[in-house]
Amino acid sequence: MMTITVPTAPTVSRPALGRTGTAAALLLPIALINAIGFILPVLNLLRMSFNEALAGGGVRETFTLANWTGLFGDSFYVELIINSITVSLSITIATLIVSYPIALYLHRSTGRWRTFLTVLVISPLLTSAVVRTYGWIALLADQGPIVSAIAALGIAPPRLMFNTTGVIIGLTEILMPYMILSLLAGFGRLDPRVEEAAMSLGAPPAKTFWRVILPLTLPGIALGCLLCFVLAVSSFITPKLLGGGRIFLLATEIYDQAIVTLNWPLAATLSMLVLIIFGAALAAYARVLRAIE
Amino acid sequence: MEDTNTSAPMKLLVAILFLFLLAPVILVVPLSFSGEQILSFPPESWSLRWYAALADNPKMISAFWTSLTLGVIVTAISLAVAIPAAYVIVRMRTLGSTFLYNLFTAPLLLPTIVLGLAILIIFASVGFLGTFTGIVIGHLVITLPYALRVIATTLGNLNLACEEAASTLGGRPLTVFHRVTLPMMAPGIVAATALCFLVSFDEVVITLFLTGPRLTTLPVELFHHVESRADPLVASVSVLLILLTLAVVMIVDRTIGLSKTFVK
Amino acid sequence: MMHQTVLCGSATVSDGRDVHLRLDGLTKRYGESVAVAALDLAVPKGELVALLGPSGCGKTTTLRMVAGLIKPTNGRIVVGSNDITIMPTYRRDMGLVFQSYALFPHMSVAKNVAFGLEMRSVPKPEIERRVKEALGMVRLEALAERKPRELSGGQQQRVALARALVIRPSILLLDEPLSNLDAKLRDEMRNEIRDIQQSLGITAVFVTHDQVEALSMCDKVVVMQGGKLEQVGTPVDVYEHPASPFVASFVGRTNRLKGTAQGDGSVTIGAMKVLVPGRPGGKVEIMVRPHRMKLVEEGSVEDVAGQEVNRLAGHLKRVTFVGDLLQYSVDVGGAEIVVEAASDHGRGFRIVGTPVAVLWRVEDTMVFGRGA
Repeated sequence: MMTITVPTAPTVSRPALGRTGTAAALLLPIALINAIGFILPVLNLLRMSFNEALAGGGVRETFTLANWTGLFGDSFYVELIINSITVSLSITIATLIVSYPIALYLHRSTGRWRTFLTVLVISPLLTSAVVRTYGWIALLADQGPIVSAIAALGIAPPRLMFNTTGVIIGLTEILMPYMILSLLAGFGRLDPRVEEAAMSLGAPPAKTFWRVILPLTLPGIALGCLLCFVLAVSSFITPKLLGGGRIFLLATEIYDQAIVTLNWPLAATLSMLVLIIFGAALAAYARVLRAIE
Repeated sequence: MEDTNTSAPMKLLVAILFLFLLAPVILVVPLSFSGEQILSFPPESWSLRWYAALADNPKMISAFWTSLTLGVIVTAISLAVAIPAAYVIVRMRTLGSTFLYNLFTAPLLLPTIVLGLAILIIFASVGFLGTFTGIVIGHLVITLPYALRVIATTLGNLNLACEEAASTLGGRPLTVFHRVTLPMMAPGIVAATALCFLVSFDEVVITLFLTGPRLTTLPVELFHHVESRADPLVASVSVLLILLTLAVVMIVDRTIGLSKTFVK
Repeated sequence: MMHQTVLCGSATVSDGRDVHLRLDGLTKRYGESVAVAALDLAVPKGELVALLGPSGCGKTTTLRMVAGLIKPTNGRIVVGSNDITIMPTYRRDMGLVFQSYALFPHMSVAKNVAFGLEMRSVPKPEIERRVKEALGMVRLEALAERKPRELSGGQQQRVALARALVIRPSILLLDEPLSNLDAKLRDEMRNEIRDIQQSLGITAVFVTHDQVEALSMCDKVVVMQGGKLEQVGTPVDVYEHPASPFVASFVGRTNRLKGTAQGDGSVTIGAMKVLVPGRPGGKVEIMVRPHRMKLVEEGSVEDVAGQEVNRLAGHLKRVTFVGDLLQYSVDVGGAEIVVEAASDHGRGFRIVGTPVAVLWRVEDTMVFGRGA
């Protein structure tokens, strides 16, 4: 193996300056789009969270912590934040529970069957979240098949839509592919021979699961949970549609403040709060991972 | 091959969970043939009325064409920008390539609701809101990282010796690039094309912030429709969208299936 | 500059043949580490020269510098009378055969071979004719339309060779071309490459870590270690008269014993004493090839054709049967000596612990001084 990579072009004869110039020219378009579509907007958003909102959608350039202090002083927002986090955690746990068996089964299958199942897992990702949420609206509606089936069993039919239950069901399904793929990525260490070894040593299936399989799959679980939590906190389409405007979460509130109320400084502050929660989740993930190792 | 380690109850559980995963997507197919006025499942009667309604809905149709044009333009620009950038980052390795790679793929780490708001505020000040240009740039912010990632990975996995061989055989740098490097990158380019197109075509959240009353994309139009009405129209659109996605995936499979044969 | 800079046309090597490729103080540094250190080498026209050494010895780096794929830190590369040190690869006119073959996966065999000719704007009919001829030379005419992935390793190797030769390169460079082939195919390709190189009379540089390849194929062997030349010579030279302990042990198997030379033609190794050619002094290491040694029963009176011999007594420790050979490990005063003998239907000493004696001719003993 060569350890150094050498550019194909005969760099030998070309002056270093010319190469750097060419490289810069080729990188310019992507750098430009990155700057005006990412760096600049995000820095501006951070700045915006310290501006003052005027009535009627105006913004006054200033430097105030009012948006931040207001957020934590207002019980509506404190509840919103707590609600967002608990709902996201519930979704994460639900997603893990329904994804784990599929991932384990997929990990054990081989050949064309595995390819087929993998395609099934990925295919929802290629379908718009609007479409999938729409499907859940049809399924969870008050006269829908699920409520009817429960009613047919003689149980008082629950409301599954326009409330937190609906949002949790819908988002759990929407996030399943991410969880399954993360779990699979983490299952790399799970060699079927290890299970066989455990069983040959006399461990019954349940013991094998708790003592061998679960510990080995913890890194995948941590990764999947991080990803799903982060996606749940920032998801907007499903809570908005399945919540019917009655469920208030961070992401829906950002949209409402930005588009309906036109309070950009507050929307910006909420956005930064989402990023802070992201950071906290990442830190927790790093700690968990270290604890596992 | 199915594995034999799995017990029957476990298999049943997996089947039920798969049903849960696929239910909403599968459901829209029968739903689109509903004969009912409102959204209900299972429908009491069947018809093609919602396909007819779609054909008579100029808003949906124009939104579809906007999305299609947008997808094609965004994909073309993404490839034209990402291929040279990936080449520089993977091959020239001079200017802190790792930093640049992380910087250019960083937009994927940000939630789209935050990114959408950030872009909204900047674009409002330069009058890009509700314009085609604005939406194109907004989409590029998220398609470029995908394109860069896929193409850079392909490029990194290429056998550098092939390009060296071409230059020892007398190929000048540009000739080597278009006769050897580019054809060998074909699978990655096809994958990037499909990914960029699908991401742009399906994008809702960022686009919601950037569309205006006169210019809207299909996913945004669908979102507003679902938000305000519950009828089977969206099901018929969804079926067509699923078919389009399927077509794109099959084209990719064909092409990459063919080009996989290139790689030994 | 330390090294001589005799240049241009008239340069010849000792046997009077024209120098075709000359490396002058060729150096490659990566930061602190030196991959190739001031290498001087002259390759005569039409010779096949092997760069032989363990991995990391700088042989591949040297080859890649000759091909123009790596820029030298210092020194010059001269072909004929042209200094090509800074010439871009695509103008160097060298055929390079890669270890991984590096066939273009998206082109057919014929297209692969035609590539270099297309780059030279050779007219179409001539390209066709020359591709056919080149594929004929490596016996692959029938597979011209196949894709590389449809070929076996040996076939891919021959396409790579045809592709490098069809451009009629001034110099053929081969980078470990046989290392990805199985043993039997390797022997076959060895002969094939040698035959083609001889019939074309082309100058060639062959990089390998396999001493058998280097000794059996090449006119000259250049042994390298740590970026430096250890020895340049014919295969016989390098094998029979290694210039350093490294060469002796890298090229062929050898027994090594450390001792002190007495200045009278003898060396003491612990309590033992052996005779060596010449009259060296000081701390030395002596080496003897296993097949130059003979194993006899202890106490037997045996002459080796009236020559001066060394004789060390010991015990048989292990016998290994390797088909055509028997390898004996003998414990001689605490040191282990390996003796090889032709396996005569597997007959020979068998019982471990047998008292035996090891014999060899004094003139077969190689002596190297050891630094303090």
